[in-house]
Amino acid sequence: MNLASVIVLVIVVALAAMAMRRCLKKGAPCECGGSRKVCSRKSGCSCCDCCGD
Amino acid sequence: MSKSVKIALAGNPNSGKTTLFNALTGSEQYVGNWPGVTVEKKDGILAGHKEVIIQDLPGIYSLSPYSIEEKVSRRFLVEEGPDAILNIVDGTNIERNLYFSTQLAELGLPMVMAVNMMDVVKKNGDKIDFEKIAKSLRCEVVGISALKNEGGMEAAEKVVEMAKKSVVEKGPGKLPDVPHVFSGSVEHAIAHIEESIQGKVPLRSIRWYAIKVFERDREIIKKLDIGVGEMKHIEEHIRDCEKELGDDAESIITSQRYEFIKKLMDKSLALNENRKGKATLSDKIDKFVTHRILALPIFILSLCAMWFLAVAENGPGTVLTDWANDGFLADGWHLPFTTHECREEGKYKGMEFEDAQGEFAKAEATVAAWEAGEKKASIEDEETGEIAEEWDIDEAAYNAAKEFEEPDPGQFGVWVPGLGALITDALDRAGVNDTVKSLVVDGAWGGVATVLGFVPVIFIVFLFLAFLEDCGYMARVAFIMDRLLRRFGLSGKSFIPMLVGKGCGVPAVMAARAIENERARRMTVILATFVPCGAKTVIIAMFAALFFREQWYVAAMMDVVGIAIIILGGIALKKTRFFAGEASSFVLELPAYHMPTVSGVWHHTWNRLKGYILKAGLVIFPACVFLWFIMHFDWSLNLLADEEIEKSILHDLGSWIAWIFEPLGFGSWQGAAASVSAEIAKEQATATLKLVTVGMEGVSSGAHIQNFFAALGDFPKLAALSFMMFNLFVPPCMVAIAVTFREMGSQKWGWFAIGFQLFVGYVLALSVYRLGVLFAGGGFGIWTAVAILADLFCLWMIFRPSKQ
Repeated sequence: MNLASVIVLVIVVALAAMAMRRCLKKGAPCECGGSRKVCSRKSGCSCCDCCGD
Repeated sequence: MSKSVKIALAGNPNSGKTTLFNALTGSEQYVGNWPGVTVEKKDGILAGHKEVIIQDLPGIYSLSPYSIEEKVSRRFLVEEGPDAILNIVDGTNIERNLYFSTQLAELGLPMVMAVNMMDVVKKNGDKIDFEKIAKSLRCEVVGISALKNEGGMEAAEKVVEMAKKSVVEKGPGKLPDVPHVFSGSVEHAIAHIEESIQGKVPLRSIRWYAIKVFERDREIIKKLDIGVGEMKHIEEHIRDCEKELGDDAESIITSQRYEFIKKLMDKSLALNENRKGKATLSDKIDKFVTHRILALPIFILSLCAMWFLAVAENGPGTVLTDWANDGFLADGWHLPFTTHECREEGKYKGMEFEDAQGEFAKAEATVAAWEAGEKKASIEDEETGEIAEEWDIDEAAYNAAKEFEEPDPGQFGVWVPGLGALITDALDRAGVNDTVKSLVVDGAWGGVATVLGFVPVIFIVFLFLAFLEDCGYMARVAFIMDRLLRRFGLSGKSFIPMLVGKGCGVPAVMAARAIENERARRMTVILATFVPCGAKTVIIAMFAALFFREQWYVAAMMDVVGIAIIILGGIALKKTRFFAGEASSFVLELPAYHMPTVSGVWHHTWNRLKGYILKAGLVIFPACVFLWFIMHFDWSLNLLADEEIEKSILHDLGSWIAWIFEPLGFGSWQGAAASVSAEIAKEQATATLKLVTVGMEGVSSGAHIQNFFAALGDFPKLAALSFMMFNLFVPPCMVAIAVTFREMGSQKWGWFAIGFQLFVGYVLALSVYRLGVLFAGGGFGIWTAVAILADLFCLWMIFRPSKQ
């Protein structure tokens, strides 16, 4: 495998890992464009970025 | 550091609180043109005033302790105590809105009443005397238009000024100047109660507490801990009033409050003489759209119109999707108005680009067929997979065909390369090997591009929904559905989460919190996600584009099927002992129709679309990379060539569970992998299908998928329909499932919800495929019998007599 292939492979895997990490940490994005996780204060909003909580 | 000032934004449902809240705080809270959008209070900082916190309360009609929204608002206003209240009132319905305002005024807090929708009031030619209202309710009154962002900030600044000026003490405080709206005997009884509870409550709110005690509000009486003797004395006063006025205490308060408001309106509201007694435009429209017979067909027609625009052949959605899939995200496209016939000398001179591509395809087919030892060559129709053209070949034709070179699109107009072509080109230039190129082009980019290619369809669907919602039609839909659902013992209140669910299933499940009755709430959570959400729209769009181009109504039918499942599923569940009971009440106010603003519709559409695009990068991309790896490696982690994919991990995993999907017509490892991966995010089904079929023969991603279904059996369209319906109506994505479990409150109920959804989705796909095959002459088999028995069971669940 040549150097260019290794670099591209590393970039793709790193980007995928970063995206996956973000989803696991913050939750998948929701329809309002923010990240979606289950709100700890049970405030009724679906997206924690909405209320900034 | 200055002390923070808390301002409560309170008002009736759908009076414009959240619109004003967003304008004041710069937030992007979801605004819906139907009641019940805000279930819990939300905080924001007033723009330009760091020390001022604006609190958006759920819309309520009174400070009674009956609904969840009322409890939330009442608890905050009475117990936590904001520094001032910004009471937002719908100017076009001011009389009814003032009921809540009189209660707010009794709390004794500084208050500014912002009369919203003044633009509509003025347009109607009505006049509201703010001074008289201000004098009667002892508060400031200003006119605003939240939608047009007029006057809101001035009202907020006024209430902040009042809050800062007022020395509102959280302790005993001083007796505030509050309106007295009741008759002599009631006021007399209230005065006695005030005396009895003095010292137990803040002085500023003593009148509100006294009225609540008069109404025999159990929660307040319990909280005040009034002694038995004292309570007996208070009861005597209340009974005297009831005897004198011939009604119960709570009704006396309600009716006298309305009398007060009526008198106030008589002197402060001047309706346009020309409009008096005449039906408004909204009334005229409602005569049709909420008509007993016409309402439902109109609703279905509006859904059909939306899907027609989105997926009909040559419609805007299809044209844009084709451009995105084949041009922008793939090879490239010709700039409009620059295309011409080929002017360069050669085989393509005088031809249009499409004709030249056709000639080249024929030449390729001739070469391939001759080299395979055939005497005839053919090309297939991309849409149907059938042989479109067949011709005889000989050596001369082969030699001539070998001379053809792929037409250069630059010779036919200004060619803009697509993202797919740019990525491939960049990887080729860098000298990246074929395996890594496949990971990037087929795996990562292929999956993301498949999902992004349907952005135009999603955009049209969201745009259409935003328009219907903002103009006020969606509130009518809730009303229509309430009328329909009520016949079956269900409440229209359950339909609001389902309307929310058209965007995303997660807020839909959460919106069910507004339903007080636990059984109704659980049932709503189970049913809400049957309305195809934005992500499921991608699946519909892909299958509509590949298999039902001429039958665009199949896409619209998916929404209708979703609603039908909700109604029929609701009826069936209601007949079980777990969900039996009366339908809860549903108060719905129909807002006046208005022309939505461009910015409002755009805001709604973009906010939903943005999340969908983000998801392609954050969820679909890593999922596709992962799937590519397990599709290109075996269990010993050896890299596999394209023709060895049947040794891959993904192939094995899919094969182990493919038997589950066999009765549904797509029992292959590819169908299983796509269906299971859809639980990551529903649109992943399309990306996985593209990934797992890419190794098959064909010329484009669409053709790969068509070929895959064609290879499944004699009824590819039925298998495709079955696949689509299975993925639309089985449990939603993982996030929505997690929220369902949480909202259900127990593992048992969570599993029940998932089990029910799985049963519905499976039986539906099974019935569509097996009965479809039967009617198409494919014969009767064991699974046809199972499908019929399952359908009979469902019909029995729906039509059996109720135990109530």
